[in-house]
Amino acid sequence: MSAQIYACGNCYLPATEPAADLKVLVKETTGEAVRRIGRFIQLALIGAGRCAQGATVPADTAVYFASGRGDFETTLEVMATLFRDGGTPKPLSFVNTVSNAACYYVARSLRLQSRSNFVCNRNLAFESVLQLALMDVETHAATSALVGSVDAVTTPLAEYRQRLHLAADTPLAEGSHWLWIGPARDDRPRIGEVTAMEYFGDAPMLSAWIAARRLDAHDCAFATGQFIDAGDARTLADTAGLSGFFDYRDGRGYYDSQSGAAIADFLAGSGHTQLLHVNADATGGFGVMLVTR
Amino acid sequence: MAGCYFIGAGLHTTLGNGVEANLAALEGSFTPPPRATARYAGREQQLPYRTLRDVPLPGDDAAAEQLRLDAVLDATIGAALEQAQLSNDERARTGLFVGTSSFDIGVSEAEYREALLVDAAALPLDRQPSASLGQFALRMRARHGLRGPDFSFNTACTASANALLHADAMVRSGRLRHALVVGVECFNAITALGFQGLQLLSPDNMKPFDPARNGLVLGEACAALVLGPEARRGSFFLRGGANLCDTHSMSAANPDGSTVALVMQRALRSAGLEPRDITALKTHGTASLLNDEAEAAGMHQLFEALPPVCALKPWLGHTLGACGLNELVLFCAAAKRGFLIGTPGIAAQSDLGIELNQQSLDLPAGNFMLNYFGFGGNNTSLVVVAA
Repeated sequence: MSAQIYACGNCYLPATEPAADLKVLVKETTGEAVRRIGRFIQLALIGAGRCAQGATVPADTAVYFASGRGDFETTLEVMATLFRDGGTPKPLSFVNTVSNAACYYVARSLRLQSRSNFVCNRNLAFESVLQLALMDVETHAATSALVGSVDAVTTPLAEYRQRLHLAADTPLAEGSHWLWIGPARDDRPRIGEVTAMEYFGDAPMLSAWIAARRLDAHDCAFATGQFIDAGDARTLADTAGLSGFFDYRDGRGYYDSQSGAAIADFLAGSGHTQLLHVNADATGGFGVMLVTR
Repeated sequence: MAGCYFIGAGLHTTLGNGVEANLAALEGSFTPPPRATARYAGREQQLPYRTLRDVPLPGDDAAAEQLRLDAVLDATIGAALEQAQLSNDERARTGLFVGTSSFDIGVSEAEYREALLVDAAALPLDRQPSASLGQFALRMRARHGLRGPDFSFNTACTASANALLHADAMVRSGRLRHALVVGVECFNAITALGFQGLQLLSPDNMKPFDPARNGLVLGEACAALVLGPEARRGSFFLRGGANLCDTHSMSAANPDGSTVALVMQRALRSAGLEPRDITALKTHGTASLLNDEAEAAGMHQLFEALPPVCALKPWLGHTLGACGLNELVLFCAAAKRGFLIGTPGIAAQSDLGIELNQQSLDLPAGNFMLNYFGFGGNNTSLVVVAA
């Protein structure tokens, strides 16, 4: 399961209080002032728009979009308005509680008319949609795909930390990370290749897969996702024989779909030609991405 | 490419618990939609809602809400897994594909209502473990010993149809040997009052494509389907399917029918079929003015002569993200028995030119198309056939 990476785009914002206004960034990126959308959709438009900048993404490009938490802001507003204040949901707020509202705005902004899916996964949000997109590209169900993840904060930040069960001093951030992927084409420049995205139900299965890859320690960097246990990570690095650690998470505030940043950061700033990225879920399973520059 | 067949099914709707109970209920007649109570801020509103049969709504208790949801999911998933006869090892490697628009928001609502009684400054979605859409699937995996990957599709009314499309592709491509697809939607105040705010609810039965159509009735449902490579006699399988984004509007398909026709055309192409090869068609049929117009226009564009057409929401209610799967399971069960489900008295004559099948109609084996259109411009068309 592999696909070429034609482009990537990101928006990473350390959380502030009050939250940074994103309207200007949305207009800069999309060329239009998109009205009546919340922060979650704004971040999706910025990340996807930056990914598509400088290229004409064909209309038959599919959208695969993920999040760890979804559009918290809209859901919280609707819940507080209804159950605390006794006001019924406003039509637009209610419609925007549907998470694929963001897919709609991304597709409309980039004039896309192909597949569109919003998929969530507690720990492996970005990995999940990447896996589906790779499969669809490989089986020709999609000719190319925009794959992205977004997680946004809500304010007050203290309440947001409480809701996520995070320590009071945990730095928070927002991230929107997108890749445009597809098959190798002579007319389309590429910046890298996703050579694998696999899920394994336990560590022995993952270890066997890694061992069979025979990765070159000089060429391949090792990176870990935010949900993997440090001990498991060391064992896996030893199994792979990799010592070059690529730390894209250093200094990054907390948000659920950090894995989305790994590939773009690797392509932008590592001396290695290959990246093995391993993340874990709460059931003892692992998601692994293998990327080549 | 491996084959991929429907090898186990579970179904709980307003008609009954179990596939057989649902089929039996189709021999009866329509009843007016019952009312369910949406509770918020010390107020109550009665709204038409086709709730699950034999499982009363729990009232105002979060623990009871969670127990009800777990019980419904456990029984439905259990029935599907039992019929599929997977070994423990096969079950452990099975991937989970969930389609829903509301997850367990009903439990979150009840928890928040309870918390507000104690503390007026309580936070919504302040849950244990922390609130996340993906937590819902993890809970199902833990309760059923599933250690494969999980994917939760949240694309409004197409959610479980899209879950099925991708589960099927995973099995066919050999990435998974088995997949469990679950479509679930349970009563919650946000959805009920949100649809009321959009003025899309009907006080009466749903009448899709009928000149008297006046909106939809929401419904609860839970369906589960196990997919695997083992062809069993009479098992249905997904012959083709397509999903496309329609950017005409957030809440309605393009009324000219072009995007509806396109997704059906793509589904046929992926199945290697022509419109004339479709033996019968299940509409989405939400009985809303604009969406029925768009759907009718799309069908007329694609089909020179329409095959027999049915709609299941008058029976089941609109079960939103779950409808992709429960309507498919019910349609296939009826087709296996050799009949097309009728909707007596609804759209016998249609201003949109879509006359629905009125009484149970003998249905030969063939290719069947099932259509779904959702908020966010998400359109999905499936083609199924029996092995």
